[in-house]
Amino acid sequence: MDSFMETMEQGVLGHLMALERGGMGRQKQHDSQRSETLKARAVTLRAKRDQLKHHTDVVKTLKDKIVKGLPLRDEDAAADGFVELQKSLLTAWRMQLKDLQRAHHLIGNFAPVKSHRAHCHCRSIVPSLSGGYDLVECKDGKSACVSFHTAFEGVRLETYSVELDLTRAVQISRHNVPPSFPLESLAKRTLQKDLKAFLQTLSQNLNALAARRRQVCLLKELVGSVEVMESNQLCSVLVLMCTAQSEAPKAVLCTLEYGDLAQCLPTRVSIECEDKVLSGSPQWKKNQSLLLESPAHTALLTMRRMGSIS
Amino acid sequence: MDAQTTSVLNRIIRRIPNKNIEDLLKKWNCLSADQLRALDYTRPKWVIVEHVISFCEENRLNMKHITNLEMIYHIENPDRGTWHACQLAEAQDDAVCVELTQFKEQFKAHLHGVIRHISIKLKKHEDEAIWIRIAWGDNFNKPNHLKPTYVVHHLHTSYVFISNLTAKHKIYLCQALVIATKHGSIKDGHLSTKSLTAMRDLLLRRYQQVFPNAHSRILQDRNTVSSHPCIGKEHGDHEEMRRQMSCEAFGLGPSPKLETAVYRLETRYRGTGDHSLGDREEFFRGVVRFSSSGLLDSLRHCVASGIAEGPVTPLLSAITQRGRNYFVITDKGPGVSSQASAQTAPSQQTL
Repeated sequence: MDSFMETMEQGVLGHLMALERGGMGRQKQHDSQRSETLKARAVTLRAKRDQLKHHTDVVKTLKDKIVKGLPLRDEDAAADGFVELQKSLLTAWRMQLKDLQRAHHLIGNFAPVKSHRAHCHCRSIVPSLSGGYDLVECKDGKSACVSFHTAFEGVRLETYSVELDLTRAVQISRHNVPPSFPLESLAKRTLQKDLKAFLQTLSQNLNALAARRRQVCLLKELVGSVEVMESNQLCSVLVLMCTAQSEAPKAVLCTLEYGDLAQCLPTRVSIECEDKVLSGSPQWKKNQSLLLESPAHTALLTMRRMGSIS
Repeated sequence: MDAQTTSVLNRIIRRIPNKNIEDLLKKWNCLSADQLRALDYTRPKWVIVEHVISFCEENRLNMKHITNLEMIYHIENPDRGTWHACQLAEAQDDAVCVELTQFKEQFKAHLHGVIRHISIKLKKHEDEAIWIRIAWGDNFNKPNHLKPTYVVHHLHTSYVFISNLTAKHKIYLCQALVIATKHGSIKDGHLSTKSLTAMRDLLLRRYQQVFPNAHSRILQDRNTVSSHPCIGKEHGDHEEMRRQMSCEAFGLGPSPKLETAVYRLETRYRGTGDHSLGDREEFFRGVVRFSSSGLLDSLRHCVASGIAEGPVTPLLSAITQRGRNYFVITDKGPGVSSQASAQTAPSQQTL
């Protein structure tokens, strides 16, 4: 009342200033209240975070123990009680199995998952990324579709699929394997007797085919000076024309024969040249063995680097 | 140039529209640059034909060159005439090792051995196809170049595409093919089209096939109107399922351009109305023929849009799966392997 009388004496502006002072005071109160609630909330959240951290640590240690095959002890999660331990165990197993499933998808090992040993084995192969295959069952088990993933030198190439009809005897109903590939003769030999062996052989042959095709592509891309004279859909033979570097550049014909279609390296290499001395020289003998032992594009790049060919 | 040569040349040039003649003659590379320049393609066809014939006579070209021109024409325009597919079976172990030169030698040797007068020309195209032109004669007559047979084969595959073969010569050609490719037998593929490209695309699987896969989903390439956030598709799942079914049966993207599919019925009448028809012992013969400018595309659309009820009947999916367009349907049931049966129950599909 007194302050009111005071302000009245100071006029309208004074009155407004007094009101402002009053409002500010109330807001400060509001602010402090809010900061109190927020601080309390932060404390509870931190506590919850610590609890969750503890929980995940428990699950992680359990999972590591599963991986390493160490016996699980009750003391690990005894603090939380038996039910909590069960839950953590389940989560740990689920994570482990998901990892294995992913590894399987990448490598395509058809054998059922045995133990942690399989997982460790998978871990060592994954970096080199070889092609594998997956099997999907459809139509209530009446048919299955197998997808073969091919890869070469760490690069994922094509995927071929084969649909198998499982009603009476195992038969191939359709596929997108290239028609020049001898699928029927392979199926006739092994499909009825041993499905797993058939899938393994098919995967190996398809990978080899994709590898040979990729070598031809890389050859054309990286070593432009070499001409591909002859090749075919199955890449079972490759005839290359190189220019040997000497005083007078001479044409050299390299014939690579891939007798074994499950391999990506040739079984026989022959070098022909008009100049018999050149083709018989130790340098070209070395080149011949280079072409036999390493993929075509790497061999030719080495030959170019060493100065044998231009 | 004798009469037969002139008439063959005449026939080739008459078939081609004037604007394409120049390219063909350039590819042929038998006329000189001056001669090519001298030809006026705006004149009427018979004038052009006469000029070409006179140039050929000037250059002393013979039947070999003219048949070469005919082959080039057919390779450039493979979709003329009617083509039939045949399938080689019983591959021997070394069938995979057959090389082009080996194939050529064996093929020619066999045919020259059985028919005294025959003209065979083999050419390998850049896409790994071997084109063979055969003009048949017999032991007394010279080869008839006006009715040549064309054969196309991709080495190491089991398919052979044949055009214009008479029944009389079929056996010789089949024998030669079987010997040259190191197989045991050859049989009719039950596939005939006007377009060799469509036939090759279908049998050599040059279209994108779709397989059931746990990890893939077909992308909606044709985005329809409903991309508005307030519009939701009530039957989105069903649509997706139908789309998956149709693509599994008929492929994704542009399909081979088949024009017809023929189903010959040799079944008994099974309708509920007129009992007199059903009592008869003999077959109710009929032929069902599907015709379209793009048969597989239209069948796929039928299934994807819901006009035809799924799952796709094996009678239709056999077109792509078995690579044939002529079927004989009998009452015998699913035991007969080479015929699609009317009795097969639609297969259950889970999704």
